Amino acid sequence: MRSSLALFWRLIVRPLANEPVRTALTLLAVALGVSIVVAIDLAGDAAAGSFHSSLESLTGKGNWIITGTGGLDEHLLGRLVTLPYPLNFSPRIESFAALNGKGEALPFIGLDEISEIGTVQPRAPASDVPNGVWAGPGLNWHVGQRVRLLINDSLHEFTVQGILPGENNRAIVADIGVAQVVTNSVGRLDSIEVKIPASDNADTWRKAVQRELPPGVRIEPQGSRTRENQRMLRAFRWNLRVLSYIALVVGAFLIYNTIAISVVRRRNEIGVVRALGGGRGLIFTGFLAEAAFFAICGSALGLLLGRILAIGAVRLIGNTVEALYVSSRPAPIALSVEALAAGAGLGLAVSLVAALGPAMEAARVAPVEALARGREEYLARIHAAPRAWLAVALFIAAAFCARLPAVDAQPFFGYLSVLLLVVAVAAIIPGLISTFVRISQNALLRLAGVEALLAGRSLAASLGRTSILTAALVTAVAMTVSVAIMVGSFRATVAVWMNNELKADFYLRSAGRAAADQHPTMSPDVADRIEKLPGVSAVDRFRAYAISYEGLPATLAGGESSRVRAADSARFLPGQNASEILAKLSTGDYAIVSEPFANKHNVRVGDNLHLPLAGAIRNFRVLGIYYDYSTERGFIVLDRKTLLKYLPDPAVSNLAVYLQPGADAAHVRSAIDSVLNGRSVFVFSNSSLRRAALATFDRTFRITWALEAVAIAVAVMGVAGALLAMVLDRRRELALLRFLGAAGSQVRKLLLCEAGLVGLIANTVGLALGTVLSLILIFVINKQSFGWTIQLHWPAGMLLTVAAGVYAATVLAALYPARTALRMDPIESIHEE
Amino acid sequence: MPLLEVRNAGKIYRTASEQVVALENISFMLDAGEFLALTGKSGCGKSTLLHLCGVMDFPTSGEVVLDGVTTSNLSDRALTRLRRSNVGFIFQSFQLIHNLTAVENVELPLLLAREAQVRSKALERLRWVEMEHLAGRLVHQLSGGEQQRVAIARALVNSPRLLLADEPTGNLDTATGEVVLALLSRSVREFGVGLIMATHSTESATVADRILHMRDGRIAQLAVTR
Repeated sequence: MRSSLALFWRLIVRPLANEPVRTALTLLAVALGVSIVVAIDLAGDAAAGSFHSSLESLTGKGNWIITGTGGLDEHLLGRLVTLPYPLNFSPRIESFAALNGKGEALPFIGLDEISEIGTVQPRAPASDVPNGVWAGPGLNWHVGQRVRLLINDSLHEFTVQGILPGENNRAIVADIGVAQVVTNSVGRLDSIEVKIPASDNADTWRKAVQRELPPGVRIEPQGSRTRENQRMLRAFRWNLRVLSYIALVVGAFLIYNTIAISVVRRRNEIGVVRALGGGRGLIFTGFLAEAAFFAICGSALGLLLGRILAIGAVRLIGNTVEALYVSSRPAPIALSVEALAAGAGLGLAVSLVAALGPAMEAARVAPVEALARGREEYLARIHAAPRAWLAVALFIAAAFCARLPAVDAQPFFGYLSVLLLVVAVAAIIPGLISTFVRISQNALLRLAGVEALLAGRSLAASLGRTSILTAALVTAVAMTVSVAIMVGSFRATVAVWMNNELKADFYLRSAGRAAADQHPTMSPDVADRIEKLPGVSAVDRFRAYAISYEGLPATLAGGESSRVRAADSARFLPGQNASEILAKLSTGDYAIVSEPFANKHNVRVGDNLHLPLAGAIRNFRVLGIYYDYSTERGFIVLDRKTLLKYLPDPAVSNLAVYLQPGADAAHVRSAIDSVLNGRSVFVFSNSSLRRAALATFDRTFRITWALEAVAIAVAVMGVAGALLAMVLDRRRELALLRFLGAAGSQVRKLLLCEAGLVGLIANTVGLALGTVLSLILIFVINKQSFGWTIQLHWPAGMLLTVAAGVYAATVLAALYPARTALRMDPIESIHEE
Repeated sequence: MPLLEVRNAGKIYRTASEQVVALENISFMLDAGEFLALTGKSGCGKSTLLHLCGVMDFPTSGEVVLDGVTTSNLSDRALTRLRRSNVGFIFQSFQLIHNLTAVENVELPLLLAREAQVRSKALERLRWVEMEHLAGRLVHQLSGGEQQRVAIARALVNSPRLLLADEPTGNLDTATGEVVLALLSRSVREFGVGLIMATHSTESATVADRILHMRDGRIAQLAVTR
């Protein structure tokens, strides 16, 4: 053991210290790769994984919750409490409130027996507090404090009457009577919590209660909504995770490159060690140990860095979760052993796998051959033909995988297809570089002089390392390009969809923070009064409820389809007639569903949806499937009259106001403001709503860009490290150029040309590969994960920016190696052994 | 039983377009405590023959028997063990590892063989080549002669039975070369190793017991000097 450690230290670790910059670059590349994986995992856990439905605040563990679509009739509680069971039924109102109408949406819970929850501070005298609330300690409010809370479209003043237990609790609790009044739900309940005696068989009691419930009303264990939300977030988290692996994959190329360089450089040492009695196994494990050294040190650094990056990532992921899925307040970042082990384990595994090839190559070299230089480069050339065949096989396999369906709703074969394509292209990179240099040498000489020619020759002569380096950069560029095309296409599709969808002149919704599962309401009289304003042609009322459908969160809504103008067929999937669908929708129990909903629940036109409404299971025939990009939860939309038949609450969630031709928009807007006098309602003009929607869209994809930027940074660091190694290895050649009359500036130009050529090849191949990958992202991975139809769009400006940025970064990465080259003494270098 | 027996050994290198006969029909024996010089011009096959003798490479025909073991039937693992315990190498360009100090270079074979007390054994050999005082120096801080003495110490540290030296004085001036040759002769006398030294210098070869002169991959002449 001591011998092995001594050998490891002397032959592996110590030489790395002689090249601190290159070693640091490789370590940093691994660290960044690992840190991104850890950051995304930790942030994902905090924002989505450890997600606890805020509406399940203050429910007891082991209890059961009774819920129904659109809420419950208060009389149900009266029936339940008279049952001869030793059960305790607690009614609940569940809503959201915003302090002073701004900031985060806080859970606002109405309870009957607040005293049961317990408070950590004494109650204020009841007579002083007509509107008393109890606040979670996470809000940092104090007893007696007066707070103004926006609930639905009205601000209400409350006095803090007590502080709730629970360290991070940010809920607000009010007496259920008060809560019913301020949420406009007098006579209604959102849920009933059933407390079951601890020693009893919970399932027996659940069945007993279920028998007493009207059809469509469910009794479920506490935490069901949290679990449903987590299930809904699974695809989002998976895709984010896979994106976070890109930097690690790019890092794997660099580990391969580092170890391959190490093998080439140490050929003499391999020969000496073999001559002195070292076996193949020792050589093999030695180089694996070098990779493990990078992996362990890099991972250790990556874990620390990941913890720091997670702070920023959690905010970005939280925004996306809230915009597309569900209200959430990220949990504190918990440095779990699993996340750390996963990050470090992945870093180690990827590094070892990447190092396998060079390590086996080193072990295979016969001791006598080990003294001969250049064999590695020779191998890269003579293996070009088998590599091309391997690439063809991989391309075919990738195409096959891209056509396979999702596994357990996850696009595993889509990911595999992407990976196979990346490896296939990496396999043909040596051939591409050789061909490029061969056919471009005259052009290089004419355009950039002899330095460019020498640079090209140098790339072709050291294919063993330049091809891996280029492959790493190609991977980073291709992934960035593919994501840019996907996001650009998605954005363009959303813009077109908004053009079709947003025809009204003004849109109104209750103030406060928007989230996919929050549908605060406005008084119905607002719509009625606006409808009568001069210049207004029509008002479209829309009401939405967050519901659960087949174990997944969804949105049930009612709209006034008869008033929708210009029934555009582009809103519906191909082959569906919008006018006919919308005309029929109001005539009975019919529904249209959004595309994500249809994909998620495998619903087709003509299918029946079974919804528990108004004490019975109702069937709604699906007339059409429409495009929708507002939320991934999925919509079931009924005609407003149909919805009101079953859920007779006339309050509305959104209003669309259409003006008469020639009406003065500013005049109507001020008239609307007068109608809203005193109510907290946002009024968006058509253009401002579109701007806000696109801003939300851009915010949603910030995390994606951040991940791509890290992958490119890792690849560019690899370029710098590899060029530095090439400079050190070619010092005699560079010195010879100086002896032959080359100026320092010419040597610098040569190295910058090499980097420039790597950047050029990587950008060209990366753009081509990225375009193919984008097709898989859009038509396979996105479709299987989220179910959105995205029209392919080529964001030329964005792609040019990416290409120019990568090119500039690659050339700049050569500056330090060039400086190192110029600082070498040519006389000393030329006389080295 | 001779320490080394080479029987009708031949070596042919094949490339894509041609084949090169490096050695042809070589036969000789070497006893323990015997000093054999291989002479001949550059490219005559001296180094290739040394590689065969040191079981670094296989003959394409004939066989090499080291310490009674026919090497052509052995696995790579067995060859490594045989080389580790029986053979010491000295190279023209010293082949020391530059990141290591003199004593660490000498310790290397002991560490590879998982032996104990590596430092004391390495220092003992450095003392023998009169280099103990420079044991802590990095290799590039040593002169050529000093580096070759360290290389000799490294070759002897495992107490091999066969010592192979490929142009050990080729990179040294005359005076330093004589010191190195004296050390090699001493190792034969004091440790009883069998020594084969490849050299293109006929003068250096005269310190050997026998001289095997090679030409175009064949033995051209065998001479006994004493």
